[in-house]
Amino acid sequence: MSNLNTLFHHIGLYAGFELRRLWQTRSGLMTLAATIVIWALLFRYAIVPAADLIASRGFTDFIAGLFGNSGLQQLSRWPAPELAVYWFFSLLLLPLFSLFFTANQLCSDLERGTLRFLTLRSSRTSVVLGRFAGQMLVQGCLITLTLIATLALAAWRSGGLSFEIVNATFVILTNLLLVLAPFTAIMSVFSALVRSAKLAVSLAIVTLGLGFALLSWFIFYFPDFLFLLGYLPGAQVMQLLPQHGWQTLQLALLPLIQSAVLLTLATVLVNRRAL
Amino acid sequence: MSSIIQCSGLSKQFGRKTALAQVSFNLQQGDTAALIGPNGAGKTTLFSILCGYLRPDSGKVQIFGQQPGSSRLFGKVAALPQDAQFDPAFSIGEQLDFYGRLQGLNLSAARAETERVLALVELSDQREHKAAALSHGMRKRAAIAQAFIGSPKLVLLDEPTAGLDPANALHIRQLISRLSGDVSFMISSHNIFELEQLCNKVLYIQHGQLSSQINAADSSSGQQHLTLQLEQQHDDALLALLQQLPGLISVQPGQKKELLLSYNPAQNAQFDLALLQCLAANGWGYRNLIKGQTLEQKLFSVS
Repeated sequence: MSNLNTLFHHIGLYAGFELRRLWQTRSGLMTLAATIVIWALLFRYAIVPAADLIASRGFTDFIAGLFGNSGLQQLSRWPAPELAVYWFFSLLLLPLFSLFFTANQLCSDLERGTLRFLTLRSSRTSVVLGRFAGQMLVQGCLITLTLIATLALAAWRSGGLSFEIVNATFVILTNLLLVLAPFTAIMSVFSALVRSAKLAVSLAIVTLGLGFALLSWFIFYFPDFLFLLGYLPGAQVMQLLPQHGWQTLQLALLPLIQSAVLLTLATVLVNRRAL
Repeated sequence: MSSIIQCSGLSKQFGRKTALAQVSFNLQQGDTAALIGPNGAGKTTLFSILCGYLRPDSGKVQIFGQQPGSSRLFGKVAALPQDAQFDPAFSIGEQLDFYGRLQGLNLSAARAETERVLALVELSDQREHKAAALSHGMRKRAAIAQAFIGSPKLVLLDEPTAGLDPANALHIRQLISRLSGDVSFMISSHNIFELEQLCNKVLYIQHGQLSSQINAADSSSGQQHLTLQLEQQHDDALLALLQQLPGLISVQPGQKKELLLSYNPAQNAQFDLALLQCLAANGWGYRNLIKGQTLEQKLFSVS
């Protein structure tokens, strides 16, 4: 097998192994349980009463305040109110959850020395990319499960599923994966730097917070550099919120580039560090 | 014979501490080499560099003509790294299967390979257990098992029998002894007697420097040695008798009841026979007669 084939083969094996971790191990099942609890609350208080929520004064005022009346109109153009509410909450909450759920991509293996077993058989690059791909697969599974529940609710309320509703579900899934990719890649970087998942999360939050504060301070004195805020991870979320349909993919390039840059950084860090 | 490990001028610093300084050696195909040295001498650093876990600050190292960690060495070089642990979330069998898959085996071949290597270390019945459910010794044996997945050409073992009970330590020694020849080994251990049995080459490392290299085949042309262990403590009368043996160069007391005799085989080819006759004629019993010096005597000049 050529080097590139071996790399992709190993990435696939690592990703599959991470997927097994979700379904077959205690820690994976705990992640699943946490997801169910969080989404059960969202379903109970937001998605089940979605039609009422969208019509409620508080919610419409909030959306109109953020995006104007056009944003409100766009949100109401989703084929089911359940999907509109799901879209709204998942875009805002999932990036934060992603920082926690994907924090342990490498740190535990570094701490235990398990990476020493792995790197005798595969490149460090394939470990980094494989673990990232695995985390994306796991998040894809969790999102799909909650989307299926949302679809079932929409079908139950409206008495069936239309092509528009199923199509919108795929739009949401694709966009959420694109939004989560740079956040997962950020945790690839931080989990390569430290030897505990908790420390990786803390470091990520402090770095992102400090980075945003410093950038804001810099822009305060040099307003010409305001455009830099648009390159931060998740910067496109606020632009995505008032949109719907496949036109949302117009904003896909930024998270893809961010992910590629961050994964390159993680790969360089892991390749340079002692195991 | 071709070199499988070539190290020249290898140096590594950790802050101000020198872990390795200008280490150079070669390992030939089929060699079983011992790496000996006191704690903190640099053995694990050298192992880590050979496995590709650490980069040297200077010097060159090549394994089968490749840089350590190169993808061309995957499956060819195996190791038992010090203190490396299995993932606690999966069973030992699942992880060994996965390692086999990474080495290019398909699922059924990887499972069969896991069965084989677990049988090598007598852990077949532990396949479904997680690492946390195994004793320290069992975990060590499972880690040794992972080093034999596939058909490695070079196996680097860092303290393979540390923490094992005598029966399992013997079993691992027998395993290494059985496989050596087809597979080259480099073994780090504090158990000098174990290494003496297994290895044909010894690298003694101290303060990060390779202070001596000994090949089992080496012997000084004009001088040979016998290590004699008596049943009772020797006295001056016995030493005087031994001094009269033809060909004797020197006789030195070793540890308790032990004598180290050096002789010239050109002058007396059957010196060992003459020695035994001398002992028998004078009523001295002996426990052991070893041809040559022990590894301990060679390395530390115990006398």
